[in-house]
Amino acid sequence: MNETFGIDQRDHDGVPVIVVSGEIDLATAPELRTRIQRELAAGHPRIIIDLLGVSFLDSTALGVMVGGLKQCRAAGGDLELLVAEARILKIFDITGLSEVFSISPSLEARSSDETSASS
Amino acid sequence: VTAQFGEPGDVVDLSFPVRADLVVLARLSAATIAGRAGFGLEDIEDLRLAVEELCLSVVSVTGTGRLHLRYSSQGDALNVTCTFERDDSVNGSVVETPESELSRRILDALVDEHGHDVVDGDPCAWFKKRRVGVLSDG
Repeated sequence: MNETFGIDQRDHDGVPVIVVSGEIDLATAPELRTRIQRELAAGHPRIIIDLLGVSFLDSTALGVMVGGLKQCRAAGGDLELLVAEARILKIFDITGLSEVFSISPSLEARSSDETSASS
Repeated sequence: VTAQFGEPGDVVDLSFPVRADLVVLARLSAATIAGRAGFGLEDIEDLRLAVEELCLSVVSVTGTGRLHLRYSSQGDALNVTCTFERDDSVNGSVVETPESELSRRILDALVDEHGHDVVDGDPCAWFKKRRVGVLSDG
């Protein structure tokens, strides 16, 4: 029913990037949870979730990401998000989660932020 | 759904089994009805999410059954109710989960009023959203 959902993975300077597209809802959020768990189990406590291609997400999706964030931080890492679409950012804003997650509009912007912070 | 939605007495009912892959029907219907009711694009997106959260807030009850969505027009407002008709007769109180709090914050931000009731033993959630800056026909 949710034909537009997709999930892929790549690597960015040794950090796994889970690339999600389409709609993350009750039906598809478990797949995202599985990917996060897989990375944690593989010894990657630092994960980036690329939501640039996501057109919709609900509280189920937020719950999965909050759960992943807690686990990543408990393991000494972090779970960062890439979000550029105003409609998706709005959901993080209204739930207060934009203050909880590290959110960047792109991998490039995230990299330049890291460079600035470390210099 | 007729060409326009918003005349007094306009009511649309949608009923479907509680299944994760069918909740998309709720937001599809929300988008269609909100568009016909004269809501703007941003409000339509808000309503898609609000209706989804309404459904999620009642299906946090364990068990199988059907979701009944009702859209009705009241002046400049769209009223939506979502009832979870359970297959069994166990008390249908809504279970609080971390996602429930997120749902509540989303509904607080996106609609004018919302709440929960129990109707004939079944959990029911509802909201009201008013149109702002409705374009006139002229």
